[in-house]
Amino acid sequence: MTNFDLELVKIRKVYPGGTVAVEDFDLQVSKGEFISFVGPSGCGKTTTLRMIAGLESITSGELLIRGRNFTHVPTEKRPTSTIFQNYAIFPHMTVRQNIAFGLQVRNVPSDEVKRRVDTIIEKLELGDVADAKESALSGGQKQRLALGRGLVTEPEILLLDEPLGALDANLRKSIQEELKILQRDLGITFVFVTHAQSEALSMGDRVVVMNSGRVEQISAPFELYTRPKSPFVARFIGRNKIIDGQLAEIGAGRATVQTRFGLLSGVPGFDPAAARPGAQALAVVPSEYVGVHRADDPRGDTPLDSVKGTVTAMDRVGQVIYVSVRLDDRLDVRLETYRDKLEGRGIEPGSEVELRWNPERTTIVLDAG
Amino acid sequence: MQQLTATRWVLALYTALFLAFLYGPFVVMAILSFQQGPEGGPQFPIIEWSTFWYKHVLGFAPPSRVAPLPIGEALTRSLTLAFATMVVSTVLGTLTAQAFRRQFKGSGFVFYLVVLGMMVPGVLLGLGMALVADQMDIARTWWGTAFVLHVVYTYPFAFLVMLAIFNRFDKGVEEAAWALGVPPGRTFRKVTFPMIFPGVLSAMLFALTLSYDEFPRTLFTGGSEVTMPIAIYGTFAVEIHPNLFAFGVLTTLFSFSLLAVYGILMSASVRRANARASGIQEDVA
Repeated sequence: MTNFDLELVKIRKVYPGGTVAVEDFDLQVSKGEFISFVGPSGCGKTTTLRMIAGLESITSGELLIRGRNFTHVPTEKRPTSTIFQNYAIFPHMTVRQNIAFGLQVRNVPSDEVKRRVDTIIEKLELGDVADAKESALSGGQKQRLALGRGLVTEPEILLLDEPLGALDANLRKSIQEELKILQRDLGITFVFVTHAQSEALSMGDRVVVMNSGRVEQISAPFELYTRPKSPFVARFIGRNKIIDGQLAEIGAGRATVQTRFGLLSGVPGFDPAAARPGAQALAVVPSEYVGVHRADDPRGDTPLDSVKGTVTAMDRVGQVIYVSVRLDDRLDVRLETYRDKLEGRGIEPGSEVELRWNPERTTIVLDAG
Repeated sequence: MQQLTATRWVLALYTALFLAFLYGPFVVMAILSFQQGPEGGPQFPIIEWSTFWYKHVLGFAPPSRVAPLPIGEALTRSLTLAFATMVVSTVLGTLTAQAFRRQFKGSGFVFYLVVLGMMVPGVLLGLGMALVADQMDIARTWWGTAFVLHVVYTYPFAFLVMLAIFNRFDKGVEEAAWALGVPPGRTFRKVTFPMIFPGVLSAMLFALTLSYDEFPRTLFTGGSEVTMPIAIYGTFAVEIHPNLFAFGVLTTLFSFSLLAVYGILMSASVRRANARASGIQEDVA
């Protein structure tokens, strides 16, 4: 018996015209896991979700839910529920009827339907609008109704297709937290599609980054943020400073890149056995780890990588200072730091500075393109 | 400003003429239906105002030299035929439009095949059907051959109305129902159908009215038991009396009451839709 709630085995989606929407998607999701799909629009994340829901046919590969094959089972026979971006609330039914609908088709006895609907209405605080139709609901209420309607049937997996996309920023934040708490309480597996990286990172136990129909990386949020495995992830997730060059040495847990600013080292984000010296590579440094120093500042005991540059601008926003540093005519970097870290150190526009960071924080990725 | 006023006058005149031609015949007919009877004829001047011809139509007038309109059975036939046509055409039209929501092989061909039914001249179609029926020894009846042609004629109208309705239909709610575990058949009945109902109502109205006063197709295929339009036409051949006008007024009033029912049902669903739309606006604000 498998421990996974959801398994995707080499799932592919090819449209009749020959367009490949999703290529060789492999994923294993444990019970109760919150997994986010993130990527730019058209990357295949929604298509993949719709294949799991059964709303889109699977060209090849296998879809397993709790070990059972559901590859070609129609939507209504899958133990999943889907929350849509536009909520797709039935406009001719009241809130109560919307929630009860999924139970009624399962021939649940009517007193049981009433009990379960009441529980959901109470849990999601829809009591005031229980007998109203969609037209009378606010955006947040519609969102909660869509959620309640999906949860009342007690699905094994809840699929959410950009469910917060239509909400304003404040509501979005609070519902993000509610969703996370709800998921923890229910212990149901959530698959959450979003185009916002911050949402994916803050909500997911693991995050799947997709680009052009392919999975770029599947990692826990912090690892994804600090240890990208591909140039796309390095650019799409987080605020990384990226310097290109050629791979010099490859060792166990350590690699170096020859760049135009000298030799930079870091942790390889690739399989060391698969790479050869001389290959195009990127040194990726999360900007949070980069310090701005004068060239004559003493360097402590830790070995640091550094590059030299000239300060071109300093923007002060309250306690925060944004320092723009020109490294050469191809690369300007903008760093965020605090006023008290920089004040009184003789750093101002025009200063020659050194950017320093611990090479342990650097990730080296291969640049195929 | 001068020019604007001139344009307004021209448009006003145009509108007045339009209304005069549209409703003039009916108004004249309505006035003449109150002609004195049985001596008064279908022309001005009005000898004396009376409701004699209404009584005559309804069979309350004393026997006179003017024969009563042969409408009793013909009216029942026409209404039965129109109702049956309405049901069959609307069901067929809705199902066909549902099929057209997905592209299928030969969909273009099938589209023209269906729409052909309203494009082919009615007289030719009626004549053709009569010939075929004779060849194949099929009796020509209002409930058989004529009924088939009524469906052929009204089904494309119902189909086109429903096609337009489905064009604006959000597939998302159906997907939501499937995702809740509702099988497709039940989704259609419980979700899709209630939402497209205003369109179905329009399709029904089209089919009903088109069939009710259908003439050329029925003329050749209706057989000896005639429908309303054929019966009326038959009386023209002898002599026209104002009882026809009285009958015309009565059927028009009947049509208006049908339209009123349609209007009430329609505005109720439009109100619901508007409420929905304003609900969305509130969200944006």
